Amino acid sequence: MRAVLLLLGKDVRSLMRTPVLLAVLVAYPLVIAALLGLVAGYANSKPRVAFVDEDGLPAHIVVGTHRFDVNATIDEVARNVRLVRLGADEAQRQLADGKVVAVVTVPPGFVATLQAMTKSPTLELSVTRGGTSGRVRQQVQALVYALNQKLQRAYIDANLQYVQLILHGGNGRFLGQSFDVLGLDGTERQLSALPQDERVKRIEAFVRTARRALKETGAALHATASPIQLQELPRRGRIASLSAQVESYALGLTITFLALVLAAGALAAERDENVLARLARGPVHPSGIVGAKVALAAIVATVLGFAVALAFAVAILAGHAPGGEPWQRLPLLAAGLALAGASLGALGALVGALAREGRTASLVAVLLVLPIVFLGLIPPEIFAAAGWASDALPFAHGVRLFSATLYDLHPWGAVARESAWLAGLGAVFAVAARAAVRPFDP
Amino acid sequence: MSLLAAHRVARRFGARIALHPTDLVLEPEEVVALVGPNGAGKSTLLSILAGALEPTEGVVERPPRVGWVPQRSAHYGRLTALENLRLFASLEGVPSSRADALAEEFELPGNARARELSVGNRQRLDVALALLGSPQVLLLDEPTASLDPVQRERVWRIARDLAAAGGAVLVATHHWEELEGRADRTLALVEGRLA
Repeated sequence: MRAVLLLLGKDVRSLMRTPVLLAVLVAYPLVIAALLGLVAGYANSKPRVAFVDEDGLPAHIVVGTHRFDVNATIDEVARNVRLVRLGADEAQRQLADGKVVAVVTVPPGFVATLQAMTKSPTLELSVTRGGTSGRVRQQVQALVYALNQKLQRAYIDANLQYVQLILHGGNGRFLGQSFDVLGLDGTERQLSALPQDERVKRIEAFVRTARRALKETGAALHATASPIQLQELPRRGRIASLSAQVESYALGLTITFLALVLAAGALAAERDENVLARLARGPVHPSGIVGAKVALAAIVATVLGFAVALAFAVAILAGHAPGGEPWQRLPLLAAGLALAGASLGALGALVGALAREGRTASLVAVLLVLPIVFLGLIPPEIFAAAGWASDALPFAHGVRLFSATLYDLHPWGAVARESAWLAGLGAVFAVAARAAVRPFDP
Repeated sequence: MSLLAAHRVARRFGARIALHPTDLVLEPEEVVALVGPNGAGKSTLLSILAGALEPTEGVVERPPRVGWVPQRSAHYGRLTALENLRLFASLEGVPSSRADALAEEFELPGNARARELSVGNRQRLDVALALLGSPQVLLLDEPTASLDPVQRERVWRIARDLAAAGGAVLVATHHWEELEGRADRTLALVEGRLA
């Protein structure tokens, strides 16, 4: 143990004497985390959708008693997409080129059908093939849904005008024709002027019943049009950039890079400096050499991971963002960081032991980081093999451990499960690294 | 009674035979030279004798304290010479005063990191590291290749002093001319076999 501590002290001292390497080791994962954030942001950005008007939409459309500013209405309902007005041919060309992800076409006769209110007009949608088509289709469906919501109010108001006409009587227009309606009020007046007998009384009772029923028509129409309404409550909780997921992944990515590259480089450096053979002659058993590299990775991962977590905690506090227990759980997080760092360090030591020289070890370690991280990001339900591969690597377990540690109300089950995974994987990698250490190269 | 004895030690690296079964004995108070061309197997034999490399077959009987100067420098470049000596002294359970004394004796620069030292100084550091544990047997693999005549003479004096104190020294070199009058015995190794 003393020999391991002495070697560890030497490694820390060597690391501190390489400020450029230290700076890169700290900055690189943070840059990668920021880039991943940008990519994630792009995934949520507005897709470019072509809008083809083959009907010659006017500036304003009157539906019932409502007058719609066409451009303003389209802009209002198209919040989640970027609509670009194009001709039909240009739209198809850009769809084929992938410059737009979908084409929404207003076919000829659309406005006339809309204003007639006797059947539903149709919008035509063409979507590009590929991975984003499902998302684009959903967003255009949302656009049509928003448009329908606006129009349904106009339709209901127009229908209610007809109901008012039936109730109270007067002049009305339908399908371009004018007509006079006696209405239930007028009918009641006419009936009261007639000699009262049983038949008249029955008609008067019907009129009263019809009036009561028609008075409820407005509410019934609104309820029928929107059986379920979605009410968005005032927002609480952390903003997206400070979410638990983002923090857990940032921690995971940072320590994966640090632990893997450091442990691989440090072990390979022992061979590069020809010291492995000197150590293995007696002062330090190869297990101790691997142990020192694992400990180095654990310490650096804990220190830098803790710094990242502190930065998040300060940002949460400064932003008055509720959610999670960023301060109380930091000690538990520190233990999790050390365990995950050790597990990743064991994997790094294995890389360092297998590589013949330091440069190769560092390069292989750097190249391994991103596949390990991305395997952990792929949901197992999308690609089961990725889930199995990810289970055999420490990154995803580390992320789940950090997430549970920081934000689960009752974290102990997840903490125990993921800690066991990390410890088991770390032990397997460390044993493999010990077996792969060859003190002497001819 | 011999200080170190190798019985039928041999070493393969894959299909390549670096050292055929070899017997070698080092007696007290003797300096033995091991000569041979590059690639003859000298470094492999010394690494096996030092315990840095496991033989494919055969056994080595060695005393508890064996000093070894490998052909290629073997110390930490980011540490100074004194830090290297103190670290290995701690690892081997030797008092740090011994490290300080060797740094002074070999006139090793105190503040410069080992990687910044000249090749000769680095070789002197390796010899000093080999002497940390006051070895009974000293194995030197091309120890004077990068040294000036004065330092070369210092290494031979150390070898003679150690032998005079009852120890044994095995020096591998391919510079025959350097051996004149300095070795009690000379062994030749050619293509992995002692001639």
